[in-house]
Amino acid sequence: MNVGAMINKLLRAALFYEIWDAMKVTFKHMFHRPITFQYPREQRTLPDTHRGALGLLRYDDGAERCVGCDLCEVACPSHCIKVVSAEDKTLPLSRYASEFYIDITKCVFCGYCVEACPVNALAMTKLYEYSTHDKRALLFDKKRLYEIGERHLEDAKKYLYAHNQEKDDQQSRDYRYFFPESVLKPKA
Amino acid sequence: MALKPVTSPDTEAATIELSIDGRPVTAKDGVSLYDVISSTGKIVAAMCYHYTFDPFGSCGMCLVMVEGKKAPVRACTAKATAGLVVRTEGDDLFQARKKAVEKHLSVHPLDCPVCDADGHCELQDMAFQHQVTNLANAKQKLIPEDTRSLVLDFNMNRCIACGECINVCKDVLMIDALQFVKKGGFTQVVAKGDLPLSCEFCGDCLAVCPVGAITNKYSKYLYKPWQLKKTTTTCNYCGDGCQMSIETKDSEVVRVTSPLSWKNKWGDRSETAKGHGGICVRGRFGFQYIDSKNRLLQPLARRNGTLVETPWLEVMHTVVDRLASIKAAHGPQAIAGLITARCSNEELYLFQKLMRAAIGTNQLDSSARYGHLNFVHAVREALGVGRMTNDWEDITKAKAILLVGTDITETNPLTAVRVKEAIRVYKSQVIVVDSVQTRIAALASHPMMVTPGSEGLFLQGLVKSVIEQDLIDAEATGRHPEAFAALKHAAAGVSLEAVAAGTGVPVDQIHEVAAVFAEAPRAIILCGEGVVRRPGGYRQVLSLIDLAWITGKLGRPGCGVNTVTEEPNEQGAVDMGAAPEFLPGQARFDDPVARDKFAKAWGAELPPMGKGATLPEILRRCRSGEIKALYVVGENPLATLPASAEVKAALERLELLVCQDPFLTETARLAHVVLPACTYAEKDGTITNLEGKVLRLRQAMEPIGESLPDWHIMTAIANGLGYAPEYESPQDIQNEIMKLLPGYYNLGQPKKLSPRPDAYLSNGYAASVGSRYRGAATRAGEEHARWPFALTMGQLLYHSGKLSTQASGLIKIAPNTGRLSMNVEDMTRMGLAEEARVRVTSAKGSVELAVQPDLTLRPGSCFFPEHFNEPPVKDLMPLEIDPDTSVPSFKFARVTIEKI
Repeated sequence: MNVGAMINKLLRAALFYEIWDAMKVTFKHMFHRPITFQYPREQRTLPDTHRGALGLLRYDDGAERCVGCDLCEVACPSHCIKVVSAEDKTLPLSRYASEFYIDITKCVFCGYCVEACPVNALAMTKLYEYSTHDKRALLFDKKRLYEIGERHLEDAKKYLYAHNQEKDDQQSRDYRYFFPESVLKPKA
Repeated sequence: MALKPVTSPDTEAATIELSIDGRPVTAKDGVSLYDVISSTGKIVAAMCYHYTFDPFGSCGMCLVMVEGKKAPVRACTAKATAGLVVRTEGDDLFQARKKAVEKHLSVHPLDCPVCDADGHCELQDMAFQHQVTNLANAKQKLIPEDTRSLVLDFNMNRCIACGECINVCKDVLMIDALQFVKKGGFTQVVAKGDLPLSCEFCGDCLAVCPVGAITNKYSKYLYKPWQLKKTTTTCNYCGDGCQMSIETKDSEVVRVTSPLSWKNKWGDRSETAKGHGGICVRGRFGFQYIDSKNRLLQPLARRNGTLVETPWLEVMHTVVDRLASIKAAHGPQAIAGLITARCSNEELYLFQKLMRAAIGTNQLDSSARYGHLNFVHAVREALGVGRMTNDWEDITKAKAILLVGTDITETNPLTAVRVKEAIRVYKSQVIVVDSVQTRIAALASHPMMVTPGSEGLFLQGLVKSVIEQDLIDAEATGRHPEAFAALKHAAAGVSLEAVAAGTGVPVDQIHEVAAVFAEAPRAIILCGEGVVRRPGGYRQVLSLIDLAWITGKLGRPGCGVNTVTEEPNEQGAVDMGAAPEFLPGQARFDDPVARDKFAKAWGAELPPMGKGATLPEILRRCRSGEIKALYVVGENPLATLPASAEVKAALERLELLVCQDPFLTETARLAHVVLPACTYAEKDGTITNLEGKVLRLRQAMEPIGESLPDWHIMTAIANGLGYAPEYESPQDIQNEIMKLLPGYYNLGQPKKLSPRPDAYLSNGYAASVGSRYRGAATRAGEEHARWPFALTMGQLLYHSGKLSTQASGLIKIAPNTGRLSMNVEDMTRMGLAEEARVRVTSAKGSVELAVQPDLTLRPGSCFFPEHFNEPPVKDLMPLEIDPDTSVPSFKFARVTIEKI
């Protein structure tokens, strides 16, 4: 072994070269933007087309958009939607969904129901967190679906725009169906 | 076919040849070209066409090219003529039809998602077929929806003015309740006079509407057609036995639809003689009782005086143990049974087998006893047949129809449609003998309004008039000169003047009617409740047979004596032997050969002869304590029979009363054990309609609650009593019936029966005929002075028995008003306003109730529907039991009415 090699070895040993060399990657990462995403403390920005939980929407005046036509039910490939339609006794001649269920555990998030809806009452939101202690809570009923729709109204609208379901608020009003009035005068 | 070449079924039209799409086709001269095209199997789109009525030609869809014409022509209104060259396909025709669809769609709202017809809409189908994607100049109508009617909503925005509803109402049903009106720039369908629709509510307009312009109020917005499970079954309301489809969603009945619909528009007009496929208000709108909240869901057993819900096993043990102990202590003669004729044939058969073979008693009866047995006994005695000899086709094609004592549009609406078709298509003469101005009388050529209760007298007058006018068929009477001489002698005692005075019909009218009937080549007699449910019903049917015999109508094709039945399976009840005098197949109970056959088949000894009991006799024996246990299946004698029948006393005396019913009836409230039974929608089976057709009942839904089909309960009781046969399904019972009664299951095509009156006319006829012709009752005058009003209880169109009062839809149309219907003249004479209260008194008691005017009633008569017991008008009725057939009659009373 020559002297140069000896010194080199000594120096490396004295300066813990191997350790520094090995820690190089570690130290490099100290100054690197973190790659790990700190979910759930941090939330990712989702695209507008994201297919998340379904919500039911209302018009600006608070009226339910859904007319209970059952088309989402037939469009659904996993049969997770059930609509019970009825005549609204308070608003004669108008059809509405008296009950509306989506079994989100069965949902495959294909978005067909949204496409099928003639009045754009259904929309998908960016909500995707469903974990619960009780699986029964995942059978969304009408009340829950309207809550989702209200809470995620902006996302739902963006979803509809992104999927070319409707252009803007004005068009959603254009799609609205107005039921005929009765020849009978409503009793005051 | 639609454009009829002739109005008489006797004349055949000439056969012609024409060419359709290059192929030669033969057809009858003068029929609609559309029918000729559809008979080749080609389906040309059409929206306003239906084969049951004449073509209207409003939709412009059925365009075809006819050689020699420049523009396409409408096939429906064009007549088929010899040598016509027709082309039905091609791009030019497709474009022309597409234009027609676009024209309709441009004024049709695109509200398919909320429309009840979505998925069952002809316009939708047409738009899809013709690829209509863009509509220029579409406009909205914005007509308010007419919701004034009780059962139908008219959304005229959706109407395409095809006129099918108006045509079916006017042409087929002859009700004529709808019309076109030009309002707000659009042609709209409205009820006559633009009033709230008030008609017979058969709903055939709803069935033929190709779009969603007419919708059903009872199922509005509740469904989409693809969500419903459709089960074709037989209606359970009257003896017509109409086929219909119950549409269910899970365990809920959403709607009932008929075979008649815009979807079956292709057919042959001559086929409508067998029925046009429609149903009546009861069938279409009276389904709510099936899943009613009042249904019994659990067996009930009496504990400490009250009925409490008890498990099936416990209840069945009680029933079987008590029946066995009563049989052991008092013998099988202490047990009796009653069954309703709403049960299926299999259940009726099993019931009589249970009573006869497992228990060993011949004390059993069905609700056919209330009237139908009068007819069956008479035709068996006189003609040797066990049911009516004609079918719907004969009625449609008859030249003269004599309707006696039947408000046929109310009791059997679809048989009435056959009569209407006879009037309209074949120009038949219809004679209506009734005490009310019925709807059929309004259409009839010879409405005879007789005084209440004098139908029998009028028939005697008809026989007398036939003899007097010498309208006798020499061939028929010549074969039995002795019998004819006896009839002549008997009729000599009848004076036509007395008949005229007694019935209120002048003599010359009686002569005219007799001549119309006797001279018609095909004459049908139809008798109903006014004959078979009245005292002396059996003899009146025999008088009708006399009339048919001397005018030569017996045995001639297209002629005969017929009846209508109120309950669906009265004919089946008799055929299945649910009567003490008959074994299955109408074999006489005392016929040793038949007894031997059934005893061998059932592996049991039959109960002895002469110990049997009919319904009135069973009630008498219950009262006297001879009968200790009564098994009541679906029957409700307490609410049916008047108080004078002392049913309550009879039932209270019983040690064991078992009621098996879908509802807690008045009788069931007195029972010791109540077993929940299924309705017809929850079980399989067959029923026999009035024509003798055996028709299927199919299970549409699972039994409600813990209720079980009747056959299931009866099998369990039989097994519990140690009687072996175990039936696992109605099919097993059916197989047994098939073995014992070969040929009974006729698949809806009964064998034609021909009357054999010879034995009757040559043996004993001469001796018995005298008692039938006595002329008017001599005491009638003084009776009329004492009791000036005739009170009739009868059926309403909107109800059937007590069962329909559980159907909320029918109750909405016809609630119990609790009012007595009276003639307007009588009301003004007595100073009674509407809703004024009166006291009605008969020999049996008195009742206070309000009155209402009724334009159909004769002066001196009043009416109360038999379906309601509140107030208890039925208790005013005297009970008269026919000496020949034990039929209890209790629908007619003479009363006084005082203002209070």
